[in-house]
Amino acid sequence: MKRTVDVNIPLGPIHPCFKEPARVKCETKGERVIAAEVELGYMKKGIERIMKGRPWQEVMFLAERVCGICSVIHNMVYIEAMEQISGIPVPPRAAYLRVVANELDRMQSHMLANFSYCYTIEHETLGMYLLDCREQVMDLLERLTGARVTCAYIIPGGVRCDIHEEDLSFMLESLTRIESDLLRYTGMFESGPMIALRSRGVGILTPEAALQAHAVGPTARASGIAVDRRTQHPTYMKLGFATVVRHDCDNYARIMLRFDELFQSIRLIRTCFTGLPTGVIRGGGTCKAGEIRYSGEAPRGELTYVIKTDEYGRVVEIEIQSPSIMNIEACCHSMIIGADSIADVTSAFVSADPCIACTER
Amino acid sequence: MTPSLFWYLQEFARPVWLKKFFFARTAPLTTPPLFRDFPEPTGKPCQHVLFCMMVCPAPGAIDVVLDEDGWKPRIHKGHCIRCGLCVEACPNGVLTSGRVLATLQEQGTSLEVSFRIAIDRDLCTGCGNCATACPVNKEIDAQLGAGGHSSNEEVIMRVHDGDVRVLHEDKCTGCKTCENSCPTRAIQIARILEGKQQNPGGVSP
Amino acid sequence: MSFLQSIKDKVRSRSIHVSYVDVGSCNGCDIEVLACLAPRYDIEQYGIFVHNNPREADVLIVIGAYTHGWEEKLAPLWQKIPDPKAAIAVGNCPISGCCFNRRGSYIDPPVSKHIPIAAEVPGCPPRPTEILNAILSVRDSVFANWEVERR
Repeated sequence: MKRTVDVNIPLGPIHPCFKEPARVKCETKGERVIAAEVELGYMKKGIERIMKGRPWQEVMFLAERVCGICSVIHNMVYIEAMEQISGIPVPPRAAYLRVVANELDRMQSHMLANFSYCYTIEHETLGMYLLDCREQVMDLLERLTGARVTCAYIIPGGVRCDIHEEDLSFMLESLTRIESDLLRYTGMFESGPMIALRSRGVGILTPEAALQAHAVGPTARASGIAVDRRTQHPTYMKLGFATVVRHDCDNYARIMLRFDELFQSIRLIRTCFTGLPTGVIRGGGTCKAGEIRYSGEAPRGELTYVIKTDEYGRVVEIEIQSPSIMNIEACCHSMIIGADSIADVTSAFVSADPCIACTER
Repeated sequence: MTPSLFWYLQEFARPVWLKKFFFARTAPLTTPPLFRDFPEPTGKPCQHVLFCMMVCPAPGAIDVVLDEDGWKPRIHKGHCIRCGLCVEACPNGVLTSGRVLATLQEQGTSLEVSFRIAIDRDLCTGCGNCATACPVNKEIDAQLGAGGHSSNEEVIMRVHDGDVRVLHEDKCTGCKTCENSCPTRAIQIARILEGKQQNPGGVSP
Repeated sequence: MSFLQSIKDKVRSRSIHVSYVDVGSCNGCDIEVLACLAPRYDIEQYGIFVHNNPREADVLIVIGAYTHGWEEKLAPLWQKIPDPKAAIAVGNCPISGCCFNRRGSYIDPPVSKHIPIAAEVPGCPPRPTEILNAILSVRDSVFANWEVERR
């Protein structure tokens, strides 16, 4: 039986709202969207194939460049997986500095995701405010690691460089400024009536649909499912980490959840700095043979590396599972279907924060 | 504060507002010195140890060339990813980038490079290509035989009784010429990197 | 005619519409281009408007190492952009493939094999200051005397 659709609208690889090339083909009937299909494949470079047979100093940079937005977490998950295989202990000061770098990266990624959403719903003012705030976070990253993006900060046995005294005090006062700015922007987002028209009740992802699509990260936590890999990381457990959850299941909940996680990250960084232990930052240690399946929490969800190494620490087999594929699946099969208007497709897609570079490496 | 015309005029006449309106500037287009930029030479003489080339993760980014003043490392800007590993791995501090070299000296951190030779005995045919191709072998023993035979005990490896024997693994410079010349991919060089720190410094508020 | 040409040159160098295409990158250079749009390194103050429509663009910013998925799509896209046009390659990936240029990867660097590139900005990723410096130094000369030289 032939099904009639009015128009098949492709939201193509080059689109003002999508930063990365992906194709979303929507079948519509009038203004309603009946079905959607995602076509990927524009960014496949074959990174896992290049990584075979290389030592950690080359695989680390390739892993970082799987996704430039969440590069610190890829670095951290890979190096922590190698340390677990080889049994290399991490000095406590280095563990705290790793958490600082990770949380700074999470802050800039969430600010970028919220900017993307505000730009998609055409609220450029708030988007530009967020982007300006993000520049201050990039300054802090530059002071800590030496580079803004793809920092290459974490190595087996510790981190690459320590933090200077004047940088520490600069960071603490910057964080106070960033926090007061963010309170103002969150207030603007919460109380804007036009934003509420396009965000509340739009892009609903019920908890059952989220569980069926295995959604992870803020997409799942905004539907009430409390899943966060940081609760199982030893350093985060010491710092008293608690999962943040919202129950509204729409675009508004996802964006507000990212704002909540921003405040949580600022609190975590302050706790790290006030309790920073003294000691070495590099403990030494070489990589050995073994295999492991290790996961961490990227800004978009749960990131898993399955690695098998030979006796000199070179990679024999590696498999990376990135969080965005599950979120895109949840988005295209649950959020967009039954949307009231074709204009809600872009805002729902962007609010799930897809990172196509992570999805096809 | 009733919003009257006088109140609006008073708001616009505030010096803070006037300064922000008339003298707004975007940030200057300069790179701060603490940014880890393309490595620059410090002026120290290069000893041709070639650790920088061995640890570089980007293909074709760095090579060490000989000009009239001696050996010099040369960075190709379209290839270099500005990771700073060559700055840390150099034992003489010939390159510098941002605060990397200063951090190495202040905090006593270092990156130790070593090489291991691994031969898969099932794949090795005993042809001796590796021993003949190795440039260190050629330096030590000028009369190295065509099949990789040598009577000199100081070479890194030589063929004896139809099999390649490794004698001095510590002399290997990691250039992987043997790996490229092996017909069965039996020999593999592992470049091992270890990050160490000698004196614990550290600030804590 | 030269007075008219000088007016055209002046207008074309001070009002540039930009579209960017990501032919398979890691997104690092992408977010540095977005950081150029931020109020700190405002790119719109120079008259450069970044929308994402190739049909109305003057300059195409190419980011990323040319992957297999863009095989027959980038050259037709380049032909759809109306004259006068120029392409700028941002980052190491379109110049040399960066660290992905190993045996066994699915990329085909450099991008200048497929479309003509007018300027390059090296770095992985280049800082927004470096991108802006490159664009500002090239904007006067890239469209100068277009009718005389290109025809």
